[in-house]
Amino acid sequence: MRSADRTASRRELPVPAYRPAASPLHRARAGATASLCLALALTCMLFEDPVVLATAIGAVVAAGVMAGVGREIKRAALLSLPLVLLVAVINPLVYREGDTLLVRGGEILGRRMDITLEALVAGGLAGLRVAAIVMAFGLFSACVDPDELLRLFRRFSYRSALTGALATRLVPVLARDAMRMGDAARCRPAPPSRLAVARAALSGALDRAVEVAAALEVRGYSVGGRPERARRPWSRHDLRVAAAAVAVAVTAVAFKVAGVGSVAVYPRIEIAFGPPELLLCALLLAAVALPFAGRGARLGVARA
Amino acid sequence: MPDQAIVVADRLSYRYPERDVYALRDVTLELAPGGFTLLAGESGSGKSTLLRALCGLVPHFHGGEVTGELEVAGMSVRDHGPGELAAVCGTVFQDPETQVVMGGVRAELSLPLEHRGESPSAIARGVEEVALALGIAGLLDRRTDTLSGGELQRVAIAAALVHRPALLVLDEPTSQLDPVAGDELIWLLRRLNEEWGTAVVIAEQRIDRCLPAADRVLAMADGAVVCDASPREYLDWAVADGGNLATPIARLFSLAGLRPLPRSVKEARDGLRAAGLTPDGGAGETPAPPRRRERRSAKAVELRGVWHEIANGRAILRGIDLGVEPGERIALMGRNGAGKSTLLRHLKGLAAPTRGRIESAGEIALLLQNPGDYLIHEHAVDEAGADALSAAGLADRPDANPRDLSGGERQRLALEIVLAGDAPCAAVCLDEPTRGMDRVHKDALAARIEALAAAGAALIVATHDTEFAAAFADRIVLMGDGVVIADGPPAELLAGGWHFSTEVARALDGAGGALMPEQGAKLIERELVR
Repeated sequence: MRSADRTASRRELPVPAYRPAASPLHRARAGATASLCLALALTCMLFEDPVVLATAIGAVVAAGVMAGVGREIKRAALLSLPLVLLVAVINPLVYREGDTLLVRGGEILGRRMDITLEALVAGGLAGLRVAAIVMAFGLFSACVDPDELLRLFRRFSYRSALTGALATRLVPVLARDAMRMGDAARCRPAPPSRLAVARAALSGALDRAVEVAAALEVRGYSVGGRPERARRPWSRHDLRVAAAAVAVAVTAVAFKVAGVGSVAVYPRIEIAFGPPELLLCALLLAAVALPFAGRGARLGVARA
Repeated sequence: MPDQAIVVADRLSYRYPERDVYALRDVTLELAPGGFTLLAGESGSGKSTLLRALCGLVPHFHGGEVTGELEVAGMSVRDHGPGELAAVCGTVFQDPETQVVMGGVRAELSLPLEHRGESPSAIARGVEEVALALGIAGLLDRRTDTLSGGELQRVAIAAALVHRPALLVLDEPTSQLDPVAGDELIWLLRRLNEEWGTAVVIAEQRIDRCLPAADRVLAMADGAVVCDASPREYLDWAVADGGNLATPIARLFSLAGLRPLPRSVKEARDGLRAAGLTPDGGAGETPAPPRRRERRSAKAVELRGVWHEIANGRAILRGIDLGVEPGERIALMGRNGAGKSTLLRHLKGLAAPTRGRIESAGEIALLLQNPGDYLIHEHAVDEAGADALSAAGLADRPDANPRDLSGGERQRLALEIVLAGDAPCAAVCLDEPTRGMDRVHKDALAARIEALAAAGAALIVATHDTEFAAAFADRIVLMGDGVVIADGPPAELLAGGWHFSTEVARALDGAGGALMPEQGAKLIERELVR
């Protein structure tokens, strides 16, 4: 093994990455686990209610911890932080709606820079939603085998699926490249700016992509066709995780249609909070716990 | 078509888009099925381009202008692209990292068969068989990003062979591997060649590693085939041509006036015995190694009890004590994972010791393994200024894009980048600087190291290359499991071992501490000839 790569790999990559593990989410087929993660992301997209969003984040964290990928979820949360802060800060600066004025700012380029409590809360809620969605995709990255997912989607859109798989595969490679380039920059007598290093890493990514494209060509990619379907029986983990995904998605859509968890921020903050919202949260948590609950969730060899 | 040539090239010429110089010039050759052909040549001689033409990437992927004809298994490369040629030609490139496409080994091996529309059962069988043939069955359920370089390269070869092509082309597949993994790979290829009948065409800088396995050698220069011969005839040609493409033991025999030139260390020993020269350890008087200088002068750099432990508690460095004097040239050797790179990173300050102290008399320069990581600008002159560009031999190409430079040019430029500080460096550290480098560039690097040492810098070079270490170092520090296990002069440490030993020393069984062909030839003339 190349020693530099070993050194780089000893340091943890800043992005969540899939590792095979013994958990119901890892053992279930990729389609089922991916559906559960997407159902959680859908919930975050449907609701702006902070209690529901916090519940969704709690569900993602709980699923991640029970699947043994808590660190990956934490990494995803850290990754989302800049975007969350950006959304939370920009919203109150851009929107002037809302009745509760907190700061009366001056005029910049003919536009008043007042900050209202409502805009601040709206920014916070949007940030919370971004964090929840990124964490749901962190769970996805950590628990779904990209190769299996590729096999699943190849039957529908072969090239798009392969492109997706390649992008997934390149993420850790490029992250390692960037770490190495960062080290090389520190070895210069006058270290360059981070921007210059990032730009070089990006252009290096293009070189990598060309090399990978050449490798794909010589593996016969250009003559590739739709692969035959391989039949695989449904395991108990497949069934439980798929059931959880359906339960989360159906619950979220049904409660949304019923008007539960409604939030109005402007002109005054009105956040619905009562038994229906609590019921929604409880159902979401129960659905996510389904793959991990009871004897059926146990991993190992069954007794004869 | 068992007797039909697997490759037929007829006056093939090619140049890359927007280039004036032809990368291939009038290449005419025929390769028989089931042969093992070694492509030799200095960097930029056209080896990689020829291999890329064999798999169809030239011209279909790279573009450019082609004249003449090239057929692979009866398919014209002009009319058939890489996808079609993939059915008859498996391809393995230099860097295993970028040719493994999928996340898991099993999926990686399945992919070429899936491209060919094979049924799930045929795919499963093909994967199982190739994994067993290449000894990677234990890796099938591993993630590709957890594999070592050697394992990854084996997986890449398996993916190239899984559909059993008649031809396998490999472009310097061992350049990124350590010597043990590299040797294993070459013998694995030989076994596949013998047992499966797969024709192998391999480009390599380490001729000594591949020559014993080859049936035929093609030497290239400036895009043309300048020698097409059996290994023994090739050695005669290489020695007559100046020796840059000859193996160390062939040069030893040539300098000593012995014939025939040996292809392997075994043949060299047999040749010496046949000439009445018995290469046993006691034949030559091993000169007493010069005593380690224990000067009290200030050290250029000194490590005292340096430990480095990582998160899981494993110690990478374990109480390293090492002092290096100004002008000293040290080769840091040891197997992978011994702690060489980590030690260099500590010297530069890229990593902090868990315990212990590092003191230096001034700035430390560190050139990491991949010189491309240092190149971040659009123009070479922006990387380190005109003086550095001149020192790198690139004064006439200030506007060249650094990414378009050859491997050797990148290496030289990167070295000048790290040396471009205001004050001279107390120590210069290089991490595996000779990977994939030809002998001419190695000699140039050794000369640069000599010049830096003469200017007062301590040189510390982590390397697996025993020939290079013997050429530049005046001290060898051998590491194992994070500790220094031997520290002494090259004649002592590189002459008597099995693995950490030059080819000449192995042929002479360490006699006289001779490491290089010139030393060995003198020894044969002076001491062994009676």
